Amino acid sequence: MIPQDLKFSKSHEWARFDKEANTVTVGLSAFAVEQLGDIVFVELPEVGQAVTAESPFGVIESVKAAVDLYAPISGEVVEINQTVAEQLDLLSSDPYGQAWMIKITPRDLAQLDTLMSPADYETFIKSPEAQH
Amino acid sequence: MTTPTSRRTALYERHIGLAAKMVEFAGWNMPLHYPGGIIHEHLATRKTAGLFDISHMGRFIIHGRRALDFLQHVLTNNAAALKPGHAQYTIIPDPTGQALDDAYLYRFVEHEYLLVVNAANSARDYDYFQSHLSAFDQVELIDQTDSLAMLSLQGPRSKEILAKAIDTGELPEPRRNSLSTVTIDGSTVLLSRTGYTGEPLCFELFVAAQDVCRIWDLLTELGSVPVGLGARDTLRLEAGLPLYGHELGPDPEGRPIPIFSCPLAKFAVSFSSLKGSFVGRDALARQYRAYKRITFADYSLRQDLPRMVFPLALSGKSVARSGAKVFSDRDKHIGFVTSGTMVPYWIDEGQALASRLTQSKAMRPICLALLDSNLRPGQTVLVEIRDKKVPAFVVPYNLRSEAPPFARAIIYDSPVQKLN
Repeated sequence: MIPQDLKFSKSHEWARFDKEANTVTVGLSAFAVEQLGDIVFVELPEVGQAVTAESPFGVIESVKAAVDLYAPISGEVVEINQTVAEQLDLLSSDPYGQAWMIKITPRDLAQLDTLMSPADYETFIKSPEAQH
Repeated sequence: MTTPTSRRTALYERHIGLAAKMVEFAGWNMPLHYPGGIIHEHLATRKTAGLFDISHMGRFIIHGRRALDFLQHVLTNNAAALKPGHAQYTIIPDPTGQALDDAYLYRFVEHEYLLVVNAANSARDYDYFQSHLSAFDQVELIDQTDSLAMLSLQGPRSKEILAKAIDTGELPEPRRNSLSTVTIDGSTVLLSRTGYTGEPLCFELFVAAQDVCRIWDLLTELGSVPVGLGARDTLRLEAGLPLYGHELGPDPEGRPIPIFSCPLAKFAVSFSSLKGSFVGRDALARQYRAYKRITFADYSLRQDLPRMVFPLALSGKSVARSGAKVFSDRDKHIGFVTSGTMVPYWIDEGQALASRLTQSKAMRPICLALLDSNLRPGQTVLVEIRDKKVPAFVVPYNLRSEAPPFARAIIYDSPVQKLN
């Protein structure tokens, strides 16, 4: 079940806004993790790096392929989750929790409005566009 | 994605029943992996036995009065050295000494040869052979890809599983490339001691397509683990075996790779007087002269073999993919990665024959790369992965198979440590 406080990009990243901290936490959807198969490597950006919405912030590799991770929102990376890069099984066991990847201080929160709701994302992943 | 025109092997329903992730490969709808995943299937092959449906590969029967002359002309190996009951690795060369494909030639019976080629090249190979047939009277070439299914059973338990499955006939002995004919569950099965995984215990099975599901079911009941194309690729890469389109054929810039760039070529190309002239012989003879000198660190003929395929062991955790540029430690561009992935391995303990695989496993990034032929094992190179240059070792091999029943991962000291 997808947590209802998330927003999704067409490239399968999820975003969760934390009002108190003014950060957006980013991870990869369970669907994308399952599609990738055996994940062997995650490359995350450095803290302090600027990221741009719809541009790559990192890379995830499975045995068969490397896939860019796209930022759902522009801003500055304020925290990275090194644990997920070391414990790759978290990506499938807890994709919306412990497998978060980066936290971004958003430049323009309105960018979140262009993302999909959990319900829309569930419809989207059944569409031909979502199948790689 | 499945297209309506893609071909299915006789085992298609089995793959669907096992919930395989199916992919399009060379015009076939094939299992990439089963629910356990590529890593699980790779490790299972190394520790127990992996069962592969490789019925998508092209299978041609060649027979007739001048069949041997024809094979000698279009293949690089000496088919005259092949006695009934034996098989050999061989290459289909072009006149310039590049590979059109690599292949395995089996002689189960006196008057008939079976040639197995890559699925991706099967139609082109068939047309190419047809164009040469007119020069050889009374040779018949028959495509049996659809009527004769092909399985591969690889790994330490493969032999005992087959021994249990066989009703009549003997296992092919004593060594690699031996063949036999047996019956399993009432069906005639052609058995060969061959494979493309680096496993010291390895078999391939040929059986009528209508009988293959029963054979598959029996072999899985006896403990074989179904393995898809994903792990087939990681296994052959770990064993350092070439794949057409990567280590053979055109390179990442579209230039032809000389056949002798692949270390396996020395087993696949014959200049025997029994063989005489054949397609590409002069070009291959030049490559071979250069190859022999290079093995003695004499680079005077390097223009005939400017680059060769080397296994690399990478530092760090990132994965080098086919096409990645490779640089010397002085930043000179020296070639390309031709195949690269992250492979799992069983950690072993103990020495030599007393060594055994533990329950512990790990992952390591490895690749095959087409690099300047004056490199030597032990040197460090830099592989460009995205915007970073990752140190890697040129190694003699990443896997050894000389102590059955297990193939062993060879792990090198971190190239990063060596750099500092």
